[in-house]
Formats: sequence, C-alpha cells, structure tokens
Amino acid sequence: MIELLQNAKRPEKGICDMTGFRFRPKSNRVVPGFGLSMGITITLLSLIVLIPLFSIFVVLSGIGWKEFIADITDSAVRATYSVSMTCALAAALIDSVFGLILAWILVRYRFPGRRLLDGLIELPFALPTAVAGISLTTLYSETGWIGSFFHRFGIKISYTRAGITIALIFIGIPFVVRSVQPVLEKLDSRYEEAAMMLGAGRFKTFVKVILPELLPALLTGFGLAFARGLGEYGSVVFIAGNIPYETQITPLIIMNKLEQFNYSSATAIAFVMIVFSFVVLFFINSLQFRVSKIAGGAGE
Amino acid sequence: MSKKEKAGKVILILLGVAFIFVMLVLPLITVLIYALREGWRVFTAAVTDRYTVLALQLTLVATVSAVLFNTVFGLFSSWAITKFRFRGKQILTTLIDIPFAISPVIAGLVFILVFGRIGWANDFLQAHNIKIVFATPGIILATIFVTFPFISKELIPLMQSQGSDEEEAAALAGAGAFTIFRKITLPHIKWALLYGIILCTARAMGEFGAVSVVSGHLRGKTNTLPLHVEILFNEFHLTQAFAVSSILVVLAIIILILKNIVEHKGRKEVDEVVR
Amino acid sequence: MYVELKNISKEFGDFPALKNISFSIEKGKLVGLLGPSGSGKTTILRILAGLEQPDSGDIFINGKRVNDIPASRRGIGFVFQNYALFRYMNVFNNIAFGLEIQKKDKAFIKRRVGELIHLIGLEGFEKRYPHQLSGGQKQRVAFARALATNPDVLLLDEPFAAIDAKVRKELRVWLRETINKLKITSIFVTHDQDEAIEVADEIVIINHGVIEQKGSPVAIYQNPATPFAAQFIGHSILLDRYSELKGFDKFEGFEKAVIRPELVRLLKPGQQTHLDAVESGVVENVFFRGNLMEVHVNVKGMKIVAYHSTEDEPLHPGEPVGVLIYRLYLYNRNEVKLVNNSLLDEQTPLYLQGNHNKEKSWIACR
Repeated sequence: MIELLQNAKRPEKGICDMTGFRFRPKSNRVVPGFGLSMGITITLLSLIVLIPLFSIFVVLSGIGWKEFIADITDSAVRATYSVSMTCALAAALIDSVFGLILAWILVRYRFPGRRLLDGLIELPFALPTAVAGISLTTLYSETGWIGSFFHRFGIKISYTRAGITIALIFIGIPFVVRSVQPVLEKLDSRYEEAAMMLGAGRFKTFVKVILPELLPALLTGFGLAFARGLGEYGSVVFIAGNIPYETQITPLIIMNKLEQFNYSSATAIAFVMIVFSFVVLFFINSLQFRVSKIAGGAGE
Repeated sequence: MSKKEKAGKVILILLGVAFIFVMLVLPLITVLIYALREGWRVFTAAVTDRYTVLALQLTLVATVSAVLFNTVFGLFSSWAITKFRFRGKQILTTLIDIPFAISPVIAGLVFILVFGRIGWANDFLQAHNIKIVFATPGIILATIFVTFPFISKELIPLMQSQGSDEEEAAALAGAGAFTIFRKITLPHIKWALLYGIILCTARAMGEFGAVSVVSGHLRGKTNTLPLHVEILFNEFHLTQAFAVSSILVVLAIIILILKNIVEHKGRKEVDEVVR
Repeated sequence: MYVELKNISKEFGDFPALKNISFSIEKGKLVGLLGPSGSGKTTILRILAGLEQPDSGDIFINGKRVNDIPASRRGIGFVFQNYALFRYMNVFNNIAFGLEIQKKDKAFIKRRVGELIHLIGLEGFEKRYPHQLSGGQKQRVAFARALATNPDVLLLDEPFAAIDAKVRKELRVWLRETINKLKITSIFVTHDQDEAIEVADEIVIINHGVIEQKGSPVAIYQNPATPFAAQFIGHSILLDRYSELKGFDKFEGFEKAVIRPELVRLLKPGQQTHLDAVESGVVENVFFRGNLMEVHVNVKGMKIVAYHSTEDEPLHPGEPVGVLIYRLYLYNRNEVKLVNNSLLDEQTPLYLQGNHNKEKSWIACR
C-alpha cells in the first residue's frame, strides 16, 4: 500500500514526457477507446470499491457521536488495538531483520538450493491464509513439533501473543525480501570497493555504506508487512484463540461484533482501523521520502 | 575470502535457510503429514467428500469470476490511464489500490453493509428475491473486491514505461481500438498480464476473511474451500481439515512454479528487447 | 623502484586479460596506463589495489610484497571512475571516512579534512551532499577522500571519463599540479591519449593484456617501439604503398608505414620549396577543427591527412596541392623504423604543426 501513497507523488510519465513542448490539442484522442475504457474503469471502480466503501460513512453517520466513541474506546476493543499493534510491530521488525538476511544471501551468495529458496519466498502469498492458520496452530500447539519442544520449558505459543506474532511473521516475509532484493541487486559495487580501499572491514562497510542505501526499501517492506499484519485475519484467527484482552486482534473483534449482528459497532471499529492504516503508511512513506531525499531523490 | 568472511557467509546462509525452513517449510510438511496421518483411505474420503467437492466448486467459481472480472477491469483501466493524458491519474490509481490496504474482514463488512439485512440495497433485493450475502454472488463480489487491483497494478507501471507511441502510430494508420490492442499492446504486456492473473488467482483461491464474513458458513451452499477447512478444523476433524488443505497446498505450489516460469520468461524477453 | 609488478597474469574465464605483465614505477612519479577498451589497463590498476587477485605474479609496494595483503590494508588511495562518493554522507563525512576507520580523534579529523577541503578548493561545501555537487566537484571530493589517509600510492581509474569536456581540461591541469605538489606516487588509467600525454610523467601503453611500450610521452611519440604504439599515439594514418612516395624507398620486410599529420606540409602551387621532394595530390575533404583545418589529400591513391592553418589561404576539395612528407614510421609485426624523406636536405628544420597540444610540443631534435 506504500504504492498507494507513492503513486500520489510519482510524476506522470509517458505521454507527458514524450511531448515535451510539443503542442497537444486539449482532446488528445489519437489513440481510440478513451471513452469506453474510462467509462468502464470508473463504473467498475465505483461499483466494486467506492460505493461499498461509502457505506461505511453512511452507516457511521447514522451512529450518534457518543455511541461511536463508546464503541471504539470500549476496553475490550482498546485491548485489541494494543494486541494488534504490538504483534504486528514485532512481526514486521523480525521480518525486516530476516528479510534483510534473506535478500542478502539470495543476491550475494551462491549455494545449493538458492533458487529453491528464492522460489519459496512467495509461499505466504500463494497459500490460503486459512491453511497457513491451521498448520501454524497445529505446529505450535502443545502437541505440535515445535510447540511440544517449548512446552517442556513451560512456554506456550499457540493461543498466546507469541503465536499471533509468529503467524504475522509468516505472512510478512515476502514484503521485506522482495522490497530489498532488487535494490541490493542493482547496488553499485563501487561503493563497497571505495569503503574497502579506505580501510573499512566488511562489517563497517555494511553498516556505514550499504545499509543507508537499503534503508528506503527496508522501510517500504517494513511498512507493507506492518500494514498487512494489522489487518490479517485468516492466518491469525486459529492460532490466536480469540481470548478477549489477551489474544484478540482487531479484525477478530470486528468479526465477533458481526456475528452478534452489532453492525454499528463493527463499522465504527472498522473505521478506526482504516484511518489508522492510512496514518501509519503515510508516516512510513514520508520517512522513506526524507531518507531518499538525502541521496537526492535517488532511487538508483 | 578471509576465514572470518567465510564464517560470516556460512552463518548468514544457515540463518536464512533455517528461518525459511521453520517458517515456511515446516508448516507445509505439517499439512502433508497430518493429512496422511490416518492413511490413504481417510485422506481420499475427505478429499472426495461431497461437501469438499461442492466447496471446491464454489472456490473455483469465485476464483474464475474474480479473475475474469479483474482482468477486464485491469485491461480497461490500464488502457485508460496509460494511453491518455488527463488530470487526476494519481488519484485514480490510488483509488484502485485501496482494496490492498483494507483488511479482508472490513472488505466483507462493507458488502454486508450494502447488501445485508441492514444494507440500503436490501429492500430492493428482498423485493426481487435476490440473495447476495450468505449466497454465492456475495462470495464472488467479496473475492472480486479483495483481488481488484492485482492485474491493473501489474500492467499500469509497465504500460506507462512503454508509452503510447506505437499505439498512436497505429491509430494514425487507421487501426481501430481493438485491433491496436490486440496487435500492438498485447504482445508487449502478455507476460505481465499473465503474472497478474496468476497472483490474482492465488489470492482469490485463498481468500478467507472477506468471504468468511459474507458467506454465512452454510455447508454445501456457501462454503469455499478455505471456509470448509475452517469448519473441519473447528470441529476437531484435524485429518480431514489437513487433507482438504493439501489440495490447496498443491495448488499453491503449482502457482509458485507457474509464477517463476512467467517471471523468467518475462525477464528474458525484456533482456532480448533491450539488446 | 617504488611500485613493481612482476610477471602478472590474469584470466577472466577463457579471456586472457593480462599476459605476463611486468613494469615498475619510481617514487613520486605520475604514470598513465594508456590503452583501448579491454586492453587490461583497469585490471592492472585493480590488481594493484587488491580489488582483484592475479592468477600469477607478484606485486611490490615500497619493496614489500603485497599480494596477500587485503585491499583495505595496502595503504592505497583509489579514485573511482564515477566517484563512488557515499550518497548518504556529506562532503565532510565522505572525506573523513578513512580517518574515522583509522580511529583518529575528532580534532585531528577536523584539521585534516579542513586541509584537504582547502586543497581541493571547496571551502563552504562541507555540509553538501554528493547530489548537490557538479561532476567536477564530486571528482575533487573523491580525490580528497582518497588522499585523506596519506596513502603511499594513489590510483585513479579513468578519473575524468564522466566529466564534461570543458571541465575535464581544467581538472586535468589541476590534478597534475596537485599531485606534483603532494609528491605522491600516482598511477592513472585512461583511454584518452591526449589526457595521458598532458598529465603523465610516463606512459605505459597496454594492448590486449601486453605492454607495448613504456616511456615519457615525447619518447614514445618520437620512437614508437611497436606498431601499436606507433599508431596509438598521435593521430596517424596507415599507408600501404609508401615506397611510391617521393623520397622513400621500400625497405625489405616493412610492408606498411604510419604517417602523422604533424609531419606533413601542404604547399599551394606556387610555393617554392624542395620541389623534387614534393608530391602532387588532390584535396578530397577539408574539416574545420577549431584552430586548424584537417585536410584529406589523395596522393597516388593513398589518403594522407595534414593540418593547414586557418590563417593561410584556404584549401578546397578538388584543388591540386603539394604534399611534403618529412618522415614515415615503417613497421612490420615487430619493429618500427623511423625513416626521413631522403630527398630532403639534412639541414632542413623539421616542420611541425601540432593541433591542440600547445602546452607540450613535439620537438623533433635533429
């Protein structure tokens, strides 16, 4: 979704660049089909996305202000904010660390199974979240392979926040890896060589020269993983156990409200979620923008 | 490479591989092991069970519908956005991307708000006895919503960087819109299109949250395959749940392989053109 | 000898980049490695730096064998072709980088960086970031950065390749002067012979992984040791049938000759000199080259190129013109032979007209 906000800043390419100062008549319709394609686009967009989303506002307007505040500040609901946030944050951080490592080894090293590893990265996208959910739950349950190991030390994973975090780590992996990988691939080796010639060892070179170059991409990946983690349902619902105040994430409580036919409450919370996602992503995007400005708006 | 560097390299590789093994491979293996835990007969029974088959059908229907719909949308929207000049392109693109930013549960909620009991379209639907939520159409709609931007997202950047020179040349030569599209645009975008379709298919098949809200979980009627898995699991029919899941795992692996092939082919073609 | 390469060979896959290269450089000298693309010159530089390892051979710096010393510890400053300035650090921090690695204290760093900024003439630019600098400024920062740690040897990889032509000239002069001032042993790589000639004390010409010649620019120009050296330096033309030219006999075993525009004089009909040695030719083409005209003349079916001053009466295509050739360089596969026009008087001063090398003149001593 970073792209959402990036799109808003990206300069228009294509025809504009090519025409330069050439005069273009107001109705630039050399290529046919504008009317039809635009019409279909707007219609479908409205039908599928805009009008349904608008319903949220319609419903919200029917809710009194007091009721709205009560809904979104209910203690159980507030607990879900904290659970969702901390788990998504932790997961995104872990994804960032390991995502960086994975991108590094995939780009810089040759080892047997590298291509297989590369192909597996998108598994969380290809695998239905429900399947991921039940297999992670089973794996980390007290009788599961990993769960039983930790159980011996008295550590429970399934039905705890740790379990939620693990599920969120799972679905966030591809975001960071695929964000950082292309940047790493295109990174000019001269920067590292220059650092080497100036006496820097591998580690110093990485920290002072390479990491800053990767930071924008890392932030993008982190942001995407975090945003996804906040809204994730299928992979989390099984392992969480949905214990109020403990392991209830916000999407889950929305689901609960729906099952109780408490539509107004569900809508109010949904609204908070949407606003929050936008705020978070905007924040990360502007961070990223500032970082790349240091290098002169250089993506390359 | 010095000894220290070599050690560092090995550690990093081990860390990465271990991470992927624990996070990705183990869950996969779990599915397969648990699916076959009680032997082949139970497995096959679960997989060919009537409800499973119906769920599979519903999943396929929803998936195919979503893919078709979004491909059409993707093609028209990318055409409109990249081949013409007009104000508000960024806004349009941003709006199209919205479904990506929204939690699946909210996506489902939204359709309930429109078509559900309290929905403002409800009276109309009641009058004509059309069921949307808690019925197949609702599931299809939710799936379409969630996978809406996939194809246009793949096509728009590509078509934008390709510009519209060739299409303009063809138009000036007198070709009609569909001819231009078929003969000129399509060859350039075919791999990206295929890639988007594959991603869309994967997501549509696996969609859970949105569909869960909208479906009403009526077994045999409004259960997609992932929902069916959920029910089996919640009823502690572990083996059956995993057996059905294995179908989805196999499909997921096929999708990954197809994706890699298409990516590879697409990159090769770009290299050749550049050369 | 301060820097020595002995029997260096390097292959990239099947491609032999360097074939048993050996040469040495005196302390304090500024040496240019000159050669066409793919000649191996950059490979030599990178092997010296430690960025590549030779397949065989030894590298010595100040008497010490450095093959096994990693690049980060060879005490070498390296200036990259595209500067490779750290984009996320400002000018000050870029230059200070090597000093921080050496853990010098803050006061020392401040002083030293200040010195260098003064040396490169960029006072006031300390806080700027690379993308806020012009190409020439970036190159100077790269230079300062390489010098900060007081390296024993300075290596420069095509330092001016990415810079505009006009700025390039100024930078060349500046580089030459600065290196002279610092007295640091320097080696730079270039494919531009004008650059090598202007900047270097000594030139090493490299082609196909082999050293063609090593010597001062003038020495190479006057006495090219190999056919490649003869053709590469100066702006030369190849002649097939040189013996047909007046004043030149065929030398056994030397099939071809190199002729340089500086050693050809064009005479309008009516200019009386050495008539017996003057060939008659027809002007084919005239090109404006700023301060001179480059004239292509057809002499007995061979193309000869000569320079003609823009001050003199202009020449036009189709005009008959007299061509006086002072010297040819005959060559076969291995040797180059310098032959003067036998019909010319011994006492005749050599007539030379350089084109753009006003600073260094090709003085022919007779």
